[in-house]
Amino acid sequence: MTVALSDVFIGVFSTTLQLSPFYLFAGMGEIVSEQSGVANMGLEGIMLMSLMTTFVVDYMTGNPWVALLAAIGVAGVIGAFFAFTAIRLRVNQIAAGLAIYLIGLGLSFVIINVVYPSGLTPNYIPLPSLITNWNTGPRALGIIFLKQNVMAYVSLVLVVVTAFFLTRTSLGLRVRAVGENPKAADNMGVNVNKVRFLATLFAALTFGVAGFYFAGNFVPGFQTDVIAGRGFIVLAMIYFANWKPYRVLFAALSFNIVYAAQSEYVSLSGFGVASFSTLFNMLPYVFLLALIPVFGRKARTPKFLLKPYKKG
Amino acid sequence: MVVYAGGNLGVALSSLFLNPIELAGGSQQIFVRFVLFYTMGMGVGLALKAGLWNIGAQGQLLIGMVMVFVVYVFLAFLPWPVLYVAMILGAALGGLLWIAVPTILRVKFGANEIVVTILLNVVAINFAFFMLSGPIKSAGTALGFPHSAELPAKFQIPSIVSSVPITYAVPATIAMGIILYLVVERTPFRVKANTVGESHETAKYAGISIPRVMTVTMLTAGALAGLAGATYLMGYRYELDIGSFSTNYGLVAIICALVGRKHMLGIGIASFFFAYMTIGAESMALSANVTTYVEFAMEGIMMFGILLGNYLTERKYAV
Repeated sequence: MTVALSDVFIGVFSTTLQLSPFYLFAGMGEIVSEQSGVANMGLEGIMLMSLMTTFVVDYMTGNPWVALLAAIGVAGVIGAFFAFTAIRLRVNQIAAGLAIYLIGLGLSFVIINVVYPSGLTPNYIPLPSLITNWNTGPRALGIIFLKQNVMAYVSLVLVVVTAFFLTRTSLGLRVRAVGENPKAADNMGVNVNKVRFLATLFAALTFGVAGFYFAGNFVPGFQTDVIAGRGFIVLAMIYFANWKPYRVLFAALSFNIVYAAQSEYVSLSGFGVASFSTLFNMLPYVFLLALIPVFGRKARTPKFLLKPYKKG
Repeated sequence: MVVYAGGNLGVALSSLFLNPIELAGGSQQIFVRFVLFYTMGMGVGLALKAGLWNIGAQGQLLIGMVMVFVVYVFLAFLPWPVLYVAMILGAALGGLLWIAVPTILRVKFGANEIVVTILLNVVAINFAFFMLSGPIKSAGTALGFPHSAELPAKFQIPSIVSSVPITYAVPATIAMGIILYLVVERTPFRVKANTVGESHETAKYAGISIPRVMTVTMLTAGALAGLAGATYLMGYRYELDIGSFSTNYGLVAIICALVGRKHMLGIGIASFFFAYMTIGAESMALSANVTTYVEFAMEGIMMFGILLGNYLTERKYAV
């Protein structure tokens, strides 16, 4: 069977655009949170919880929008708890984050098992495509751009908004100030821990959206550990991006182009490379790793990242 | 949580604290995990002294396990005792090579080791899966999930007393802990590492070679995590399959290192506690009919409990 080259390209770009928003949502939240000095390593745990919530609520109500709200709500509750321990109680952020991850990993599976004891989760009712009859008109355009659901475009808007927020608004500048020099910010009358709390909470909400987006676009149903480290990859992307929103967009797109290309290659080559497919799965991560000496060199961590602040 | 998961709370609680010992094989598993957590925890703690976060113990553990079988399959021509030692050393070497990447990137390029070790965890799973579905796959795997061959008895770590399934890995690990305690805590190395961990400026001023301290601590951490993989496979599991991937021992080891306050003996105590509690959580899950994944959630909640306990005690004694 021969496949037209244009079809391959269309497939790769369409997959890239379909997968990237997951990283963009989570990335924007984590950027804001880390700029304020709090790294949430538990992001994958929060995502698993909201992914689980999405499946359950989506099936119960039949309405993906309600599921989105529920996913954000769950993420917000966990995020607030994390923020309280990391900021107010000044617990080690990495340890607290890993604890959140483990809790999310275990609890999401327990809950889904209680709700669906048979072990089968119902299929997800996805958000509709941007334009329902995307198959009319120019085919490439339809498959790449119009087939996506509206959240894909919301994520692109979020990148612009986050970039604007961090550099052009006073709250954004305060966020960066408490991450760079909390003492000076405090002296200027900024409530350091309040700003950090808001930034961390915002991050958790975006993890909720990312978890919601994962359903349907990545997997049709819930399994244990189904996100499989993709949440942690967001941390790496932010690092390469030097905490700049547009560069996260670049990192996410290039990572997913490599990912889409390898999966397209594996699926086209069939059984010939099937046993090597896991080796190809490594490619996007190795690609990201190879970028470190190039981009990571100039990375400048927010000065007070991981350091709790105590007034006085 | 247990009640909502459809279990009986009374049964669950009693089994959380008592069952680890009563459970068939429970005491064996406690010691298996103790060895895992302690070996990896010491590495994590050592790197932490120098201010470096090895989040990748899980990945190094996996590579260690893979290396045991790589040596077993590809160096099979070696005579028995040599091959036996080579398998253990191979595992340590695998972990060391796996952590060499973040170490080089950190020392040469200043790249954040947290990010790189996390990335390599994901790569390690894919790599281990590739090795399992190809080079080290058992010839017996026809359909379904691939698995490796099972190690024959002469390549297993033997039990100390034949009726009690506690292997020689336990005293070996404790001995290693004491040696590391003497080497790390009782020599100027501790001050060196701590100075690097506290402030690079001070370390530079004191004439301490920062790259050297970083390299030594990181590479040791990787080798220890790889070694943990060897004890796990050769002392308990004997065979590598996908089930060996979906664990979070590497993460729990980080918590052990933190709870043990980076002290080589303290980590041992913390490791035993966590080994006991995680097996307790597992036996609770079994006896109260809740799924085993409760265990992960329990580990997380325990971590929070300890972190909060730390907070309370620190606040009490702080100025």
